[in-house]
Amino acid sequence: MSSPPSQAALRRLAVTRRIIYLLVAIAVAVPTLSDLACDFKPSPWAEKVFKKVESLKPGSPILLSFDFDPAAMEELHPMGLALLRHCFKNDLHPILMTHWPSGVGISKQIIEKAAKERGKVSGKDYVFLGFKPGDYNLILNMGESLQGAFDKDFYKQPTQGMPALEGVRSLKDIPLVIDLAAGTAIEMWIAYGRDRFGFDLGAGCTAVITPDLYPFLSSGQLIGVLGGLRGAADYETLLKRPDRATKGMQAQSSTHVLIILLILGANVHYLSRRMGAYAKG
Amino acid sequence: MWYKLTIPLILCFVMGLLAFVHEFVPHPWSAAFREEMTTWFRIMGGFAMFIGLYALLHLHVSRIRRQQAGWGYSAFVFLGAVLTIGAGVFEEIRAAVHDVPESAFSPFDWLYDYVQVPCQATVFSILAFFMASAAFRTFRARNLGAALLLISAVVVMFGRVPISEEVGRLAGAWDIFPRAADWLMEYPNMAVKRAIYIGISLGAISQSLRVLFGIERSYLGGGS
Repeated sequence: MSSPPSQAALRRLAVTRRIIYLLVAIAVAVPTLSDLACDFKPSPWAEKVFKKVESLKPGSPILLSFDFDPAAMEELHPMGLALLRHCFKNDLHPILMTHWPSGVGISKQIIEKAAKERGKVSGKDYVFLGFKPGDYNLILNMGESLQGAFDKDFYKQPTQGMPALEGVRSLKDIPLVIDLAAGTAIEMWIAYGRDRFGFDLGAGCTAVITPDLYPFLSSGQLIGVLGGLRGAADYETLLKRPDRATKGMQAQSSTHVLIILLILGANVHYLSRRMGAYAKG
Repeated sequence: MWYKLTIPLILCFVMGLLAFVHEFVPHPWSAAFREEMTTWFRIMGGFAMFIGLYALLHLHVSRIRRQQAGWGYSAFVFLGAVLTIGAGVFEEIRAAVHDVPESAFSPFDWLYDYVQVPCQATVFSILAFFMASAAFRTFRARNLGAALLLISAVVVMFGRVPISEEVGRLAGAWDIFPRAADWLMEYPNMAVKRAIYIGISLGAISQSLRVLFGIERSYLGGGS
């Protein structure tokens, strides 16, 4: 059994931690406050989502499910805004909903901002359905009848006969669904939505979830994925409208480089100590 | 015994079997059953939210009453819940009584925009600090496996940010790092994820069968 760390070691650790926090703060703040810029090529998976949205005819419905709360807003807010800007630019009819009660406010902010920029009207050009409980049962319900699952939109307007929902009776009438998620909602949309009702499914998620989605990309169950802030920046680049995510790339670059340098530095120190101990016998 | 054990087990078996079988029956009755069943589930989901809220508040009230260590935080949870619920109920009543213009001050939205959003965003954002510190302290090439993990992490972290393309350009191949990161994600990562998903799915199937046939009864509560 190893002996507990000494008081001096604990003090050293606390000091090191503070230095690291300070370095991270500098690595985030300096690029954010400056006007540095660097070019990057969008990932192929982001391009696939963009091209699918681009391929929809004006007036087509597109369902967006914003399954996240303010904790994930730094990554998913810019992504949602870019997607909605794209929808409104191409005169699509976005239908927005959320499975998270704490995601209603943020979803409302995003859609109202994007709609205001293009002068779009709720009920005519887009629908904001808000939140309903039920998770996968809600998806199954929507697969049977969208108006049955949501008889009113967020603004308490009846969805029956709403111009933006013309020709949409259920999920079967929607060609593309894009889920922006901070949890396991994407898997839910695959199993209970896409595989049953046959629509194309795209995804956007926090960077930490992205590795989990590769099996679904390879199987074709997802048409593409926007992963983390980089995914949002990719979409902004494809839309030719750089915004918060693109600016955030500089801070992310510097922070990643800092973490890599810290890891490498710590390993050089560790290996040199081990070699020293080995040399001493 | 009959009410607490036998009836729930019969209900679980019958409903589970119906939910399973109707997937393979392409009949309008089957579709109607699914619609009815999912509506019921959603209604129960709504009640579950109330039960969750009650459980949360009950837990924190008892912590305050007993003045357990950190009971001040529980008081804060209680205060937050009361304020938010109060603001929501007030707005619903106000909207029902008279027309409220969209520009009118909304205490519920104010609490969301100026308390919940900054608090949650801040808590998530400070993860960057903890992650940097944890990576520095724990990522060590102690053996071959740890060294491979370390190299993969460094390649993916670097390949995911635009600066890797700038460095790649200097080396004559701008996409060398993004491609290396993509390769790691699309092959070794995907193979492992698939194995995990298959394992989880088999486990879920076996657990479902245990519940369906009444072998697994822990969901009924009351210990063993």
